[in-house]
Amino acid sequence: MKPAAVLATLTFAALAASTVTEQQLREAQSDSATWLTYGKNYLGWRYSNLSEINTKTVSRVAPRWIHQTGVSGAHEVTPLVFGGRMFLTGPSNNAYALDLLTGKEIWRYHQAPPLGLNMCCGEQNRGFAALGDKLFKVNIEATLVALDARSGTVLWERQMADHKKGYTATGAPLVVKNKVIAGMAGAEFGTRGFIDAYDASTGERVWRFNTIAAKGEPGGETWAGDSWQHGGGSTWTTGTYDPELNLIYWGTANPGPGMDGDVRAGDNLYTNCLVALDADTGKLKWYFQFTPHDTHDWDAVEDPVLIDMVFQGRKIKAVVQANRNGFFYALDRTNGQFLYAFPYTKITWATGIDAKGRPIVVPGLDPSESGTKVCPGLGGGHHWYPTAYSPQTQLVYFNSIDGCELFYRNKQEFHEGQWYQASTEAAIPSEPPTGTVLAMDPANGKARWRFEMVSPSGVGMLSTAGGLVFTGDGQGYLMALDAKTGKPLWHFQTGGEIKAPPITYLLNGKQQIAIAAGTSIMTFALMP
Amino acid sequence: MRLSLTAAYGGRYSRRLQHWWTALIVTSVACFAQRPQNPLAGDPDAIAGGGAAFRPYCTPCHGIRGEGGRGPDLTHGVYSAGDKDSDLFNVIAHGVPGTDMAGFASELSQQDIWRIVAFIRSLARHDVPAMPGNRAAGEKLFWGKGGCGACHAVNGKGGRLGPPLSRIGRERSLAFLRESVLTPNSDVKPQYATVTAVKRDGTKMVGIGSLDNFTVQITDAAGNDYSFERSDLASSTRELKSLMPDDYGRKLTAAEIDDLLAYLVSLRGAEAAR
Repeated sequence: MKPAAVLATLTFAALAASTVTEQQLREAQSDSATWLTYGKNYLGWRYSNLSEINTKTVSRVAPRWIHQTGVSGAHEVTPLVFGGRMFLTGPSNNAYALDLLTGKEIWRYHQAPPLGLNMCCGEQNRGFAALGDKLFKVNIEATLVALDARSGTVLWERQMADHKKGYTATGAPLVVKNKVIAGMAGAEFGTRGFIDAYDASTGERVWRFNTIAAKGEPGGETWAGDSWQHGGGSTWTTGTYDPELNLIYWGTANPGPGMDGDVRAGDNLYTNCLVALDADTGKLKWYFQFTPHDTHDWDAVEDPVLIDMVFQGRKIKAVVQANRNGFFYALDRTNGQFLYAFPYTKITWATGIDAKGRPIVVPGLDPSESGTKVCPGLGGGHHWYPTAYSPQTQLVYFNSIDGCELFYRNKQEFHEGQWYQASTEAAIPSEPPTGTVLAMDPANGKARWRFEMVSPSGVGMLSTAGGLVFTGDGQGYLMALDAKTGKPLWHFQTGGEIKAPPITYLLNGKQQIAIAAGTSIMTFALMP
Repeated sequence: MRLSLTAAYGGRYSRRLQHWWTALIVTSVACFAQRPQNPLAGDPDAIAGGGAAFRPYCTPCHGIRGEGGRGPDLTHGVYSAGDKDSDLFNVIAHGVPGTDMAGFASELSQQDIWRIVAFIRSLARHDVPAMPGNRAAGEKLFWGKGGCGACHAVNGKGGRLGPPLSRIGRERSLAFLRESVLTPNSDVKPQYATVTAVKRDGTKMVGIGSLDNFTVQITDAAGNDYSFERSDLASSTRELKSLMPDDYGRKLTAAEIDDLLAYLVSLRGAEAAR
């Protein structure tokens, strides 16, 4: 081959490596070298086929490099890895592309958030989606941005909703075919939630699914009067996708105002739901509401993980979720039919779930002026922190928050763009919550093991073919647990609070682990 | 949506503190705050809106009705960091360094901060209660019969097993201080919980400190500091229980408790020094 031809081939290889195709996204599970989409694969497994780091070798895992972002605030990002780069988003509209070998910054993106934003929980961001040579992220002021993956240059930007009305955005988008699917945040400000799809090339909006059913629409009868207009139901995490069924599964958040249910009598559809949407049209195929007429902020934005399993002797295409209300659910993902729900933490608000999937609610536990003690607390039994599924162990891994809180309520008028939660919650100082990492058998909803923690962790899970579960804690430890038993096999003090999930990929044929900790990004590999 | 793990050892505060750095916002708020008076003062809508914002942001420390708790009582109309509207604005925006009071400039709009100021003003009864007890007698008790100084430091003097108290009168409400003296286990800061470690040879260490998922650090009553990998120990535990004696209600008379509280309330740190 002539030198020019060699150069052309190498250039082509480099270009090919730094782009992501629709096919690659569909086959992401089989490409262990990369991390191309939020949940590793469309099904939301966060499982890697890599096994170089395993139960026997994990004791030799050591840091490779640390990249200090210099950006304060919570880093909750799931990094993407392809083309020799790691792509991350940070809080407050920051993003970075790092060299995979050294951690050196290739480019940085920043757009100053507008002053005086009203938001419930800080300016965090949970990551990019990728297609072709583009990266997609939301900005806190409820915009969706496309960047050139090679340079970080803005290619297009779309306003999803008006931030002055309380709309914000924090979740990682999901690319399906040629569309970028993105949700919004702001259910605490009397917004009306939605899930949007945008053309990846042009940024034009293709469809919108409103998570709050308006008067006259199916489900509109579940809202008293005009209360649907401020119904909340935000969509601030990332859904999953079944390519065979062409359905997107996305969780919706709490109704508004969160604590005062009296002003919104009814089930308040489609808040606290899992919705299954046609990926091409955004049309609702089915929904399942976990907590009708919620008054405890138990939104249903936890990962909907897609698993094919045998349940009561039948092969089922299931979707499972460790819901914030304290129950672990399995549904038939072809039609939304309820399969089972079992508590995985202490629950006082319901005695169980009936045969149709509706909670059997204990009366008298709504928030009150003087405070009502309810378990779980506002953070729920499990929050948005990413879930993992290992086909090797056939277990689902997530962390639980085990505790109770006091829930308060007061009357509140709606004012556009202002906090509209109609009260709050408070910790019980003498009863601090604890936390566990929990391995759930999705075939029967029973916990196989629990790793007890001194306090609840906000760190997501990574499972690997090495028989390991990687996770972390708020005290800064990154750790590896035996996926079969929960036994801790390795830990490392990163020096920063961890709020992000770990990922894994290959660098020069060697397995790497990456995590955002504090304000830094760290990678790890086996030392000789 | 809210992410708070308020019960998880101040998770909410640590999250909010992380947003201090938003220099642009802070600078802008600081400029805005130069106006001495609240543009929304007395506006009923602003007071209602401020009350709504007060609930999630302020009640964890200041109580559901502003009656105080871990943070000062706001109903008396006397504020330790200054009485002007702009003082209140600045405290809410930037916090009070050296105390548990965080700044909220990056999470609350300027309008919302003024609304909260309007709400706080609406709570004020301007009825500063007469402080029972004798400060001087309380100081004597603190260093003498009460034995408080063995564990608590005031202006550099005293022990370090309990929280330093040099400005405790600014930081806590009277009711909270009374509760802390009489029933010290009712609200224990995590760093003052009781931590116990037992070595494999049976040696036991008890003190305050930190216990995480893999290590434990202890300072015992004699001032010895220890740090262990938990896997090297026979056991390691933490109880949300104070090492402070819980019998002051019996050891001291009601009048003596009042004297002691008068002394604690008088401890106001740098403000007193000015």
